Amino acid sequence: MAAMLPSSSTSNAPYDNDAVERDLIDPDDAALDDLDDPLQSTSDRAPLVGNIQSGSSRGANTQSYLTSSIPGEDRRAPTNTIDETVWETLSRDLLAIWEKMKQVLYPKYLLGGMMQRGGGIGAAERGEADGFGGSIRELAGRWPDADVILQGGMSDGLRDWDLWGPLVFCLLLSLFLSRRAKETQKELVFSGVFAMVWVGEAVVTMQIKLLGGNISFFQSVSIIGYTLFPLVIASLLSAVGLHPIPRIPIYIVLVAWSLAAGISILGGSGVVRNRVGVAVYPLLVFYILLGCLCFIS
Amino acid sequence: MENAQQTPAPGTLSWRLSSHPITLLTFLFFRVSSLLVYLFGLRLFTSNFVLIFIITILLLATDFYYLKNIAGRRLVGLRWWNEVDTATGDSRWVFESADPETRQINATDKRFFWIALYAQPVLWILLAVVALASLEFIWLTLVVIALILTITNTLAFSRCDKFSHATGFASSAAFGSGLARNLAGGMVSSWFRR
Repeated sequence: MAAMLPSSSTSNAPYDNDAVERDLIDPDDAALDDLDDPLQSTSDRAPLVGNIQSGSSRGANTQSYLTSSIPGEDRRAPTNTIDETVWETLSRDLLAIWEKMKQVLYPKYLLGGMMQRGGGIGAAERGEADGFGGSIRELAGRWPDADVILQGGMSDGLRDWDLWGPLVFCLLLSLFLSRRAKETQKELVFSGVFAMVWVGEAVVTMQIKLLGGNISFFQSVSIIGYTLFPLVIASLLSAVGLHPIPRIPIYIVLVAWSLAAGISILGGSGVVRNRVGVAVYPLLVFYILLGCLCFIS
Repeated sequence: MENAQQTPAPGTLSWRLSSHPITLLTFLFFRVSSLLVYLFGLRLFTSNFVLIFIITILLLATDFYYLKNIAGRRLVGLRWWNEVDTATGDSRWVFESADPETRQINATDKRFFWIALYAQPVLWILLAVVALASLEFIWLTLVVIALILTITNTLAFSRCDKFSHATGFASSAAFGSGLARNLAGGMVSSWFRR
């Protein structure tokens, strides 16, 4: 039932003429109070139309739920995006991309943690590079604080996922890493990194889903893809031939930046409190792996 | 394909008859260019694999975006997207269609659109067979990505079309009688049982 109710803000917009005709037919089980209330006509109509419109799709689903049919809903223009101009479409999507980039460039958790603890995740991250065992416990000990910071949940800009960020950053990462490879190995390095990034994103997402995160598959892939931005900087530094010694601190900071962005965005995904550390650990491994690839290339 | 066959004689495949010629030509350009870059890159300039790969992927992504967000609604008045419910994390498909009474869809646009929509995955499947037969596994990854993108769009748009027919049918016919709804449901489900 919850899936039928209109959840987005756009559903409250006035419907077309069909809906008015439907509204004239009173439901069988309606009480006297429900009928013909001119003051609440719009709010009464919204759930009614929601039920009716998804009726046909419901029928299809029960008949063919074993096939590949995916539940959906048809909206006869409650949000009228059919007749908008090309520029409106483009600017809305570009704004959505910029919204996600802002979340990556300004990770809430990193800055919040620094303000509160002076070291934040960056300090934990530096410990991580030295020894795994102890610092994981230390990292896990910090999670209640992270939860407090992350209670805001997921912002609206992240609800509309897109795969432009993952695609572009993945291509850039593969391109920069294959620049320094030998002539004969370029293709292998490129396609290897490309495949590794996508497989890694899928694995981390599956882990979060299996631990009970309230996040859809592509949404998580999209977020992880956007947080690759600091690692793209790292691979660019490798491509222009930075000396190995300054690489170490710079890359550690960049990996920490990626991780902080990933945690602060994924934090709203509703993973159970005790399991946040477990859910984020593969993400950490993924970022460190890519960081090492940038380092050795 | 059946949509293309149902169109009357005025809908001949000439871009001059289109009511959105610029949209139509851009749409066809993006559709064809990814295929051409892949084919020429594969056969003629295989030396620079990385460049061809990147260009093809970007063209495919642009084609996907353009078809989904611009060409679909301007040419045939259909649009689909995927919406995430933040409370549960479930994703839903949402289909939008223009009201047939206020919006007249050009027959030429419609025919071009559906033919291009269905022809593209078929061509990529052929290329996938070629890549498999010649054991070009690196190129196969590119073909698989192309297949995923084009087939997603094809399925979503054909579903969007069926949905718009089904709801238009159910609301115009005697509403509430189970017949219309069963018929519409049957149409949708038989389409997806393929």
